[in-house]
Amino acid sequence: MNALKKLFGGNTRQFGMIFALVALIVFFEIFTEGRTLTPGNVINLFNGNSYILILAIGMVLVIIAGHIDLSVGSVAAFVGVCVAIFIRDWGIPWYLGVLLGLLLGVAIGAWQGFWVAYVGIPAFIVTLSGMLIFRGANQFVGKSNTIPVPGDFQFIGSGYLPEVGPKTGYNNLTLVLGLLAVAYVIYSEVRSRRNAKELGAEVPEAWISILKLVLVCGAILYATYLFATGRPGTSFPIPGLILAVLILIYGFISSKTVIGRHIYAVGGNRHAAELSGVQSKKVNFLVMMNMSLLAGLAGMIFVGRSTASGPFDGVGWELDAIAAVFIGGAAVTGGVGTVIGSIIGGLVMAVLNNGLQLLGVGADLTQIIKGLVLLIAVAFDVYNKSQGKRSVVGMLMKNFSRSNEIKADETTSTKEVISKGA
Amino acid sequence: MRMIRTAGKAAAIAAIAALALTACGRSDTGTTGGSSSGGEAFPKGSSIGVALPQKTSENWVLAEQLFNDGLTKAGYKPDVQFANGGVSDQQNQISAMITKGDKVIIVGAIDGAQLGTQLKQAKDAGATVIAYDRLLLNTPDVDYYVAYDNFKVGELQGQALLDGMKGKKASGPYNIELFAGSPDDANAKVFFDGAMSVLQPKIDDGTLKVLSGQKTFDAVVTQGWKPENAQKRMDTLLAGTYGSATLDGVLSPNDTLARAIITSVKSAGKPIPVVTGQDSEVESVKSIMAGEQYSTINKDTNALVEHAITMVNDIQAGKKPEVNDDKSYNNKVKVVPAYLLKPVIVTKDNVHTAYVNDPVLGPITKQ
Amino acid sequence: MTSLNTHSEPLILEMRSITKEFPGVKALADVSLRVKAGEIHAICGENGAGKSTLMKVLSGVYPYGTYTGDIVYQNEVQEFKDIRASEHAGIVIIHQELALIPELSIMENIFLGNEPTKRGVIDWNEARLRSTELLARVGLREDPDTPVKEIGVGKQQLVEIAKALNKSVKLLILDEPTAALNESDSQHLLDLMLGLKGRGITSIIISHKLNEIEQIADEITIIRDGKSIETLNVKADGVDEDRIIKGMVGRTLESRFPDHEPKIGEVLFEVKNWNVGHPQIQDRLVCKNSSFFVRRGEIVGFAGLMGAGRTELARSVFGRSYGRFISGHVYKEGKELQLRSVKQAIDAGLGYVTEDRKSLGLNLLDDIKATTVSANLRKISKHFVVDANKEYAVAEEYRKSLRTKTPSVEEGVAKLSGGNQQKVVLAKWMFTDPDVLILDEPTRGIDVGAKYEIYGIIQRLANQGKAVIVISSELPELLGLSDRIYTIFEGAITGVLDKDQASQESLMKLMTSARKTA
Repeated sequence: MNALKKLFGGNTRQFGMIFALVALIVFFEIFTEGRTLTPGNVINLFNGNSYILILAIGMVLVIIAGHIDLSVGSVAAFVGVCVAIFIRDWGIPWYLGVLLGLLLGVAIGAWQGFWVAYVGIPAFIVTLSGMLIFRGANQFVGKSNTIPVPGDFQFIGSGYLPEVGPKTGYNNLTLVLGLLAVAYVIYSEVRSRRNAKELGAEVPEAWISILKLVLVCGAILYATYLFATGRPGTSFPIPGLILAVLILIYGFISSKTVIGRHIYAVGGNRHAAELSGVQSKKVNFLVMMNMSLLAGLAGMIFVGRSTASGPFDGVGWELDAIAAVFIGGAAVTGGVGTVIGSIIGGLVMAVLNNGLQLLGVGADLTQIIKGLVLLIAVAFDVYNKSQGKRSVVGMLMKNFSRSNEIKADETTSTKEVISKGA
Repeated sequence: MRMIRTAGKAAAIAAIAALALTACGRSDTGTTGGSSSGGEAFPKGSSIGVALPQKTSENWVLAEQLFNDGLTKAGYKPDVQFANGGVSDQQNQISAMITKGDKVIIVGAIDGAQLGTQLKQAKDAGATVIAYDRLLLNTPDVDYYVAYDNFKVGELQGQALLDGMKGKKASGPYNIELFAGSPDDANAKVFFDGAMSVLQPKIDDGTLKVLSGQKTFDAVVTQGWKPENAQKRMDTLLAGTYGSATLDGVLSPNDTLARAIITSVKSAGKPIPVVTGQDSEVESVKSIMAGEQYSTINKDTNALVEHAITMVNDIQAGKKPEVNDDKSYNNKVKVVPAYLLKPVIVTKDNVHTAYVNDPVLGPITKQ
Repeated sequence: MTSLNTHSEPLILEMRSITKEFPGVKALADVSLRVKAGEIHAICGENGAGKSTLMKVLSGVYPYGTYTGDIVYQNEVQEFKDIRASEHAGIVIIHQELALIPELSIMENIFLGNEPTKRGVIDWNEARLRSTELLARVGLREDPDTPVKEIGVGKQQLVEIAKALNKSVKLLILDEPTAALNESDSQHLLDLMLGLKGRGITSIIISHKLNEIEQIADEITIIRDGKSIETLNVKADGVDEDRIIKGMVGRTLESRFPDHEPKIGEVLFEVKNWNVGHPQIQDRLVCKNSSFFVRRGEIVGFAGLMGAGRTELARSVFGRSYGRFISGHVYKEGKELQLRSVKQAIDAGLGYVTEDRKSLGLNLLDDIKATTVSANLRKISKHFVVDANKEYAVAEEYRKSLRTKTPSVEEGVAKLSGGNQQKVVLAKWMFTDPDVLILDEPTRGIDVGAKYEIYGIIQRLANQGKAVIVISSELPELLGLSDRIYTIFEGAITGVLDKDQASQESLMKLMTSARKTA
């Protein structure tokens, strides 16, 4: 149990989700007769879901801070249509368009953040209003028409890493990226062991580290292989690259920085945070602003992928993003959740969607299945908590656990957990 | 510590070796896409993708069944998907069809301008793309277009509106209101333009009056072809403009909206005006027989699906499919060769004869 | 030790060999409890000893089948499957956290789930009549239509009891009933219990306040580490507080306060003419022209009844985190400070340990190490990036120096006992290295052994030259710990006494009267 915790970042829930994700992939790989893990399909998976996953990154921070954002789909659509119009009518280059789009996202976020943080209106209301405002604004500005964007702008939504260097039969940049990732994973594991040893903290057994490295690096290398060997002209997709960079940045921010700590603190117990000197209004403002910034980015990526902005872009995205976050282990009451968990949650949904489409299951059934998965994932979590926090997987792995002596103090804990549940 | 490092190194080396051994990397055998002729012969029994929009009208539901049956009978594996989740859903579905290796992809687009990336993928993967019912815009990667002549549909609707009102009241001026379809559907504008080509001269000479003043396409669109939107707009029009004036006719682009409009009129307690329609939905055909809706258009879905499958057969055999219009349908990047079917107007007068061959409507409309 | 005369009076309740396990934890092991009809029976034990669990077993919160052993009530073995079943039998439990709905009226609360109906419609006339009568019985003079949120905690407790009486209670269980009450409300409640006893209602009381137990209980059962240790007959065995403590901790405590030799220096912190308005109610002052000072190395106590404005004073000084600031001056080392936010207060070297650990002091989702550094992240971060290694090292250092009982600093704070949680909170504030530390009820809900340790920590901080302010409702604690004691009454400071002048009586006098500043 402890070993597994260490192996998967101290979170059995996260482990459960990774396990579910792998199981899903294996299931579909078998039943689609090997069409799931083809380069083309994996690329599609990333391209077709990157915008939802980007929203999930922002959404998990919002939810950790104890809020919700229902406006992301509308904000994405509004930023998308504005950028499309800027580029078409003002003739500005694509990168300026992207910059303007991000600024617009920040401005919208500041608007919503202001109401949430400084006026104290619940985010549910503010963003519900934002959902209406920016959907209307999208259709007003775009006259409910599709507005095409030029080819170079489409790069951010449907581009790939270019071919450079000698002809190896692989996409060289993708290979380099994959090997860098592997090197980083190995380096950070080695470093964390060294640190733990220096601090006299518990150092996981060597076999755990090795197993973890083999599994993670294996997965990265396999993915690299898939991305590097797709149809000519394809490789690691640009939206995937943007997503990866964002995961790194936001994963780092949420777990390693002061502002990240403050977000968890405000969501976990706002009053306690304030009495510890955390400026909770500022935190709420930033979290809401960041969400709209990311929504704007997601909107632009979608427009790039769709080659045009449309009046119904982003409809229902907020729900997909929120579902991803909750499947990924966040708590409705705030204070709990991780960026990586939300990404895994989003991938579970994406793989499910994709696999069912490959199997030719209709959109109606797909929705039913997705709805059930969301419910079951969260119910599983709630059930585990009421049962003394031991997951099914945890029970299966009981024999791996070290003897877990019960300290006198722990009696209180279990009872408190249970009495809360009761 | 050292052990870890060595192990890590070993893993990395092993993995790289594995990569190298699988060798040859990507296969260069696949057809490099973009051959604009689109499609070569492919074996019978291949999978054919059909991407349809949301299930918002009966026609699409019927089309699903017809494609499934027709393609199976013709010896293919049908792969029919509805995109209930919107454009992004349809994008992912087309991507999945390409992954599945579908040889021909028939697309009834939700938004014909937002599928460029996926269509390019399809072409790159060597699939032939047929736009079904709705044209695919802003992309070179569409091979054929099969649809009813939509401008003709509009003309027929406009004419039917005039005829219907004349039947009730011998001479004008007539008060009418205009409804159009969803602005993101390329056909909506075509329908509207077709109808206006008949109605505009009459508006100009004063025979027809649009009391609300809402005459342009942008002013009269129905977002998402959603009946509730049309119903709400009609409620507003009736309350605002037709307190005392009589409404003689309503141009409705399809049956679902026509029924929504009639519902609105009924609940406002007004006499039902002449309302046009399109698609020959069961409820509307019944409504025509009951004397409520005035007309619909029979765009026999059977014939359309049948022709789409004929095109698939031709492509499968390596032949160039038959087209009857290679000039009119410019999607802003290329002129898409099209095969257009002729629509038929149906009113109470010919409702009993129009559907004799239709498995669903035939029995209903029999005397 | 168990009284021999058990058969002389009939038992209303006997719990035999109750064992209750949670996954991985044995909360109760072979616990027995015998309660005589018509007596007040106290259950004593340290936090986490298993008192509340035992009562939850009795009241059906943990249904029959989830524990082993027998509950014999009124000479029958009972198998309660939920609270409803036990209430039906006349057993009513009043929990520490009151189960009242703040927005509803007193009457609606009394009849919640038990509404008097006439043909399916609630008969409010009947309800009003009966609630007036019930309120008279518990000695609560309030209009039954008053919303519960508008009456104080003490009165809410009485509403709970009225609610229980309405259910024709035979056995009333009170879990820490006076924990949140001031002295006079507590006394009223204890009198009420004696009154109920006179009417033949049996009560079980769980309390940390041993003086109260000594005052009203007939018998005391002591539970330690999930086992029943002994049952004492208060009169026959001549039980006093020390005797109870001995049973609870398994040893006698020679002194309840560590030895301390104060090293007091010059005035370090001073507040002058401090006026603060109520956050909601216009024109009401929660602090009235208060002035006080603390010297380096000095422990200053603040005595006052609940609601006197002690916490309000502390929090308004601490970066205006409570109330509307009206006027006043704060000086540290002679220099005036402008403290407009908590952040400024912390930066200026102030620390405030709240009385309400769970809702204001801790993020129960955090682990120990994150909590320890949470008020001073800057010290362990560089360019806004938190150094996880330093964080661990800091937390580990405090774990060792404060002797926090935990398997590791990566444990969640929610899993700790009250005393250990308080140590973590103290560590958090010690890590900000404050010159002035305000401790609001630092030992509330903490068991005897841990209190002793907390006192030791407080004294060590003072010896380091910090100015320490301790706010407490427990006068013996203030008397044992402080060098000087201020008294507060209705928002105003009514007096200050040196350690050797102060006694419970003299303090109580100042705490209950608006006499002019001494």
